Amino acid sequence: MAKKYRSKSRVEKASNTAIYAFLIALSIIWLFPFFFLILQSLRGEAGATTNYFFPKIITFDNYIKLFTDTSLFNFPKWYLNTLIVSVAVTVIQSVIVLITSYALSRLRFKMRKPLMNLILILGMFPGFMSMTAVYFVLKEIGLTQNLFGLILVYTASSAMQYYICKGYFDTIPKSLDEAARIDGANRHTVFLKIILPLAKPIIIYGILTAFIAPWGEYMFSSLLMLGDYDKFNVALGLKLMLHRENVSQYFTRFCAGAVCVSIPITALFIWLQKYYVEGITGGSVKG
Amino acid sequence: MANLSLKHIYKVYPNGAKAVNDFNMEIADKEFIVFVGPSGCGKSTTLRMIAGLEDITAGELKIGETVVNDIEPKDRDIAMVFQNYALYPHMTVYENIAFGLRLKKIPKDIIHKRVIEAAEILHLTEYLGRKPKEMSGGQRQRVSLGRAIVREPKVMLLDEPLSNLDAKLRTQMRAEISKLHTRLNTTFIYVTHDQVEAMTMGTRIVVMKGGCVQQIDTPKNLYCYPKNKFVAGFMGTPQMNFFEGTLLKKGEEVEVTFAYSDQKITVPYSLFYKVKPSYLNGDCPVYIGLRAEDITLEEHKVQKSLTTVNIKISHLEELGAETLVYGDLNMGGDGYVESSTRCIVKLNTDMSQSPKIKFTSGEVVKVALNMQKAHLFDKVTEQSILPKIPQNNYLDCTVEQGKLIFCGEELALPPAINCPNLYGDLIIPTNAFYLGGSIKAKVLSCERIDSNYLTALKIGDRILYASNLQVENASFINLGVDCKKITVLSQGKQVISPLPQTVCLYGKLIKQKQKVSLRVKGKIKSKNQIVFRLEIEGAQFEVSDYITKKLISVLGAKKAFTTPLRFECNISDITFANEGIKAKVLNLLDYGRQKFAKVAVGEKQFFVAENGQGLKDAHLLINLNSASVYQADLNVKIV
Repeated sequence: MAKKYRSKSRVEKASNTAIYAFLIALSIIWLFPFFFLILQSLRGEAGATTNYFFPKIITFDNYIKLFTDTSLFNFPKWYLNTLIVSVAVTVIQSVIVLITSYALSRLRFKMRKPLMNLILILGMFPGFMSMTAVYFVLKEIGLTQNLFGLILVYTASSAMQYYICKGYFDTIPKSLDEAARIDGANRHTVFLKIILPLAKPIIIYGILTAFIAPWGEYMFSSLLMLGDYDKFNVALGLKLMLHRENVSQYFTRFCAGAVCVSIPITALFIWLQKYYVEGITGGSVKG
Repeated sequence: MANLSLKHIYKVYPNGAKAVNDFNMEIADKEFIVFVGPSGCGKSTTLRMIAGLEDITAGELKIGETVVNDIEPKDRDIAMVFQNYALYPHMTVYENIAFGLRLKKIPKDIIHKRVIEAAEILHLTEYLGRKPKEMSGGQRQRVSLGRAIVREPKVMLLDEPLSNLDAKLRTQMRAEISKLHTRLNTTFIYVTHDQVEAMTMGTRIVVMKGGCVQQIDTPKNLYCYPKNKFVAGFMGTPQMNFFEGTLLKKGEEVEVTFAYSDQKITVPYSLFYKVKPSYLNGDCPVYIGLRAEDITLEEHKVQKSLTTVNIKISHLEELGAETLVYGDLNMGGDGYVESSTRCIVKLNTDMSQSPKIKFTSGEVVKVALNMQKAHLFDKVTEQSILPKIPQNNYLDCTVEQGKLIFCGEELALPPAINCPNLYGDLIIPTNAFYLGGSIKAKVLSCERIDSNYLTALKIGDRILYASNLQVENASFINLGVDCKKITVLSQGKQVISPLPQTVCLYGKLIKQKQKVSLRVKGKIKSKNQIVFRLEIEGAQFEVSDYITKKLISVLGAKKAFTTPLRFECNISDITFANEGIKAKVLNLLDYGRQKFAKVAVGEKQFFVAENGQGLKDAHLLINLNSASVYQADLNVKIV
C-alpha cells in the first residue's frame, strides 16, 4: 500500500503561520515601550504616572517647553553639546578605525598578529575600569568639564574597534589592490579610490556605531562634566528631570526629550540603511 | 616592448617553503611565453615576481636593461590580467579601462581615444557604460584585457585568464589573445595549467614542477623531445604511455623487454645511437615512452610491423573523431589504472562511416609500436636518455700503434696521449668535432636548435652527432676530432681520459684600506678608501662591484669576509702572466692543435693552455668575470 505523504504546501503554510505569529508577538513586546513613550510625551495631564494608558489631553506643549523653557533644564544646549561630541567622535573614530583596519588587513609587518591580539584583549576590559585614572589625567591637563576632553576619551580607544572593519576589508579581493598597484596607484590611492568606495557598508556601520555610543553615553560624561550644567549631554540632562523632586512635574517633558534624542539616530539609520544593506563588490571577481 | 632576463630567481617564503627554485630564462622582445605546470608548481609566483607583486628572495630580474628587483609594479611598465578579472566593481567598464591612464595624468582626450580603441578591438563598445556585475565572465575578462592594453605596456602578464570560462568561450578567447599578441607586438607572458592553451599560444613554453623549471622549449620540441618523464607525460592528450623495461644490445640490434609481462621486441641499434651504452646491458631499468598515436591497432600496419606486442583491451573512450582504446601489456593487469604496463591507443575513426569499433573488453589484440618515435627515460632520475642533442657519441674502437680506429676511419693520436694497442669503447663528445681533419663524413642533416647546431653525420656505416658544426645538408666534409675531449674504455677501465675542463680554486673576499689622492677645493688631499679584493690561493685580484655586492648580500656584511669561497672556471679562463697565483709547471702536453701545461698550485694540479712558457715556474691570472663562485663549506652557488 502506497505511503501517505503530508501535503508540502499545507506544512509550509502551518509553519509560516506559527513563525509570523511569534514575530508579531515579539514586535509588540519591542514596540510597546516606544509607543508608550510617545504617548506620554504628548500627555497634557500633569503627574509622573496615570492609571490609564491613553492620555486624555493630547498636546505638543512638552516639546515646545523642552526647547523654550530653559531656565531650569537647558535642553537645547545639552542637545547641541551631544551633537558636537557625537559628530566629532564619529568623524575621528571612523577615520582611525578605517586606517587601522586597512593597515592590519593589507600590510604585512613584524608583530602584526601579536599587536592584533593585544588590541583585542585590551578591548575586552570594560572602559569604566579606567575611569578614575582617566579622570585624574584629564584633570591634570585641564580637560575636565570640557567637551574636547569628552571627545578625547571617546576616541582614544577607537582603533580597538578595528576587528569588524578588518574582517570586511579581508573579504575585498587582494587582486583589486594588486591590479590598482599595477595600474599606477600607490597604497594611499588604492585605499581612497578602490577600498573605500567598496567598503561603504562597513563605513556606514562604523558611522552608526560611532555616533550612537556618545549620543546616549552617561557614565564618562557624568564624571567629567560633574557640576557644570552647561556642558551636560542629553543623557545627563534628562536624568536630572527624573530626580525625585522633579519627576512628577517633568516626567512628560522627559519623555518628549527622550523622543527628540531618538530622532537623529533614527533619521541617520533610515538615510544610511540603503548603503548598509547593499552588497557592492558584485562582479569584481569571478563569483 | 622589451626583453626580459631572469637570472637565478628564487622565492622562499618566511616559513621556509621554496616556491621558485633557481629560475633562469632569457625572454626576447615580442615573444609569447607560456608558463605551464600543475597547481603549486610556482608558475604564478614567478609571474607575480615579474609583476612586482611578490618580492624576489634572490636573483636578478631585468626588464629591458633595467634591474627591476626593487622597483614598484607601477614603474615596471607592465600590465597584468588576473585569473579572477580583478575589475573595480564600483566603476563602469569605461572607468575601469581608463583608471590606469587617469592615474598617469594623461589628457582626457587621449584617454578617451585609447579607451575607445581598446573597446573596439575587444568588442566592448556597447558595454562601456555598464558595471562589471552586469556582464558575463567572457565580457569581464575582455574588460580586464582592455585595461591592460590601453597602458601600452612593455610586457603583458596574464595569470590563467581563461580558467574561469567555459570550454567554448575559452577557445574563442584563446584565439582573441593570440590575435592581440600579433596586433600589439609586445612581449606576452602567460600562465596556465592547461597544456592545450600552452601548446596553441606559446612561441616558447616553460614547463614547471615543484618550483623548478623542467624544460624551456618550443611547443613542437616539448612534444617531440621532452627532457624528462614529467614533461613527456604533461604535454599531450591522452598522456604518453610509459612502459617499464630493459634494453639489451645484441650486435646491431637492441632487444627491448617489457617488465611485468613476457613480451619482447627487437629494434635496430641505429634508433638508440644516442643512448649511453650503460643502458643497453639488459640490467638497467628504463621507461619506454610512446604516445597513443604512435601505437596502432590497424590491421595492415600491424601485419607489416616487426615491433608488435599483445595487449588485453579493458575499455574504449569514444571521442567522436577519434577513439581511445585502453589496454594492458600485462594480461592480468587493469587498463583503467595508470601503470607501467597500461597502453592507450588512439584510433582515428570516421564515426559516420564506421559507427562501431569492433573491440570488446577483455579481448587480446596485437598492436604495432612505432619505435622510431619512442622516448626513453632513466627509471630513477626520469631524465631522457634519448635527448634531442646528445652529449656524446658512443662507438666501438681499436687503438693500434698510436692510431685510433673507429667507423673504418683512422685518427692519429697526439703525443700527449700514450695508449697501448687495445679494443674498447670510444666516447666522443658532440662538441669535439672540428672541420678540416682527415675523417670523411657525409652530412645527413643540420638543424639549428637555440644557439647550437645538431648535425647528423654518416661516418662509415655509423651515424654520429655533432653539436658545433654549421654545414650544408647532404654535403661531404672532412672532420677532425679534438683528442683532449675523448674517452676510451677498455674492459671497464678508462685508458684515455679527457683533459679536465674546469679548475677549482679557493679563496675569500677581503677589504683593505687604500690611500687615494683627492682634489678638495683645489688642494690635493690623501684619504683612506675601502677597496674590496678577492684573495685566491694567496694572490689578490680586483673584483667587480657586481660580485662584491652579491657576496655581501647573500652572505651578510660580516660573514662575507670570513666565509671560504670556491672559484670554478674553465681552463680557457686561466692564463699565464707576470703576476697572480704562483704555480709550478710540472710537464707539457702536446695535443697537436693545442699544447697544455700541467701546473701545480699547492696540492692542486690542473692544466693551462701553454704559450711558450716552458717548464719555468709561473704566475696565473683568472678571468673572474667568467668564474662561478660557491660558498665552499655548503657548496652553494653565489655568483
